Amino acid sequence: MRRKPIVIPSDSAAVTAAVVMRLYVVGGAPNSVQALANLEAICQRQLKGSYQLEVVDVLEQPLRALADGVIVTPSLIKLSPLPAAQIVGNLSDKSKVQRALGLEEKIW
Amino acid sequence: MKTASSDSRTETDFSETEAAFATFIRRLIQDAATLRAIDSGEVDAILDPVSGRAILLPEAREALRQSEVPTNQVLATLPREEYQRLRAGLELVTLTFGDVLHEPGELIQHIYFPNEGLLVSLLTLVQDRMGLEIGLVGSEGMVGLPVAQGIDTSSVRAVVQGTGTALRMESSQFRQALETSPALQRTLHRYTYALIAQITQTAACSRFHQVEARLARWLLMASDRLQSNSIHFTQEWLADLLGVRRVGVTLAASALQQQRLIQYSRGNITILDREGLKASACECYQKIKDIFDRA
Repeated sequence: MRRKPIVIPSDSAAVTAAVVMRLYVVGGAPNSVQALANLEAICQRQLKGSYQLEVVDVLEQPLRALADGVIVTPSLIKLSPLPAAQIVGNLSDKSKVQRALGLEEKIW
Repeated sequence: MKTASSDSRTETDFSETEAAFATFIRRLIQDAATLRAIDSGEVDAILDPVSGRAILLPEAREALRQSEVPTNQVLATLPREEYQRLRAGLELVTLTFGDVLHEPGELIQHIYFPNEGLLVSLLTLVQDRMGLEIGLVGSEGMVGLPVAQGIDTSSVRAVVQGTGTALRMESSQFRQALETSPALQRTLHRYTYALIAQITQTAACSRFHQVEARLARWLLMASDRLQSNSIHFTQEWLADLLGVRRVGVTLAASALQQQRLIQYSRGNITILDREGLKASACECYQKIKDIFDRA
């Protein structure tokens, strides 16, 4: 089952602060499924609604990945706010993802 | 005529060449984080900048295979475990119009399970050139049925109509797989019965029925198997399949078009009125369909 590119819109109030990301995956492949789940968990907890995530299946759109400088999947690209960042793998290392997204680790 | 060959456009596979390529790409990757991700098994695919394709790594490929639902109805009847066992030996190929899968008297190298949208004609050759269509196989069936009966040569020419995909397997491997798959044996027994019925009915049809009724029958059968009302065919090719002169097909197609049952232009045939076309077809269409539905 291939996943179509989806966009999760940000809350309108937080547009300026929204984190814009693109996740390159192979829909249905284990690491890609895990990367998406890991990313969504982090986003929902720390970014609440204030993010945009586009998921691109490289079996359907390989050229988009290459244009973005992606050579392996899963790859997450943070497009905004700058500086842009890229992180590869299944995103199970939460602190690495948080650093790439410019999120502070919450101290409880 | 061309011979069918493997094509990687549809399925991006991790063949030996690609494995070598992946090693090569790996050497080119300078980024330590990417290399670590590959080494720790966190990567599903590598993108090839030259071909612009994504190359699946073995685990990802296997996972996708296991989640796949077959569109071929013979394969779709199998219990999931049996299908997955069989699927490991099946290769996805793209076939195009005119590809010859089997020739009479020649060894059957591969058997084919057409996916939805692919149509294969079984032709009996007379004087080694004229081919009368005696059977039509789509996603409801399998091409290379003799292999399932322990016969390794074909008695017919199997020619691809249109472009589509099929899952294929080497004959020897298929014979072994069949021995360990009782569900596949049962399904193929039923399919063999239905195909024989189709062939015998077609033989009688060719002798006794008018071209117009036969053309209507053929269009309906092709449309059922393609699951589409649009069929791409030249009149010349149709005349060969039906074993009549081209003018015969032209007249029959015009008559069907005048009744607004089909629309015909430049090799594109569209069925406009399916019920009307059924009424114009000989009884053979419904007889063959009933046998397939019951089988």
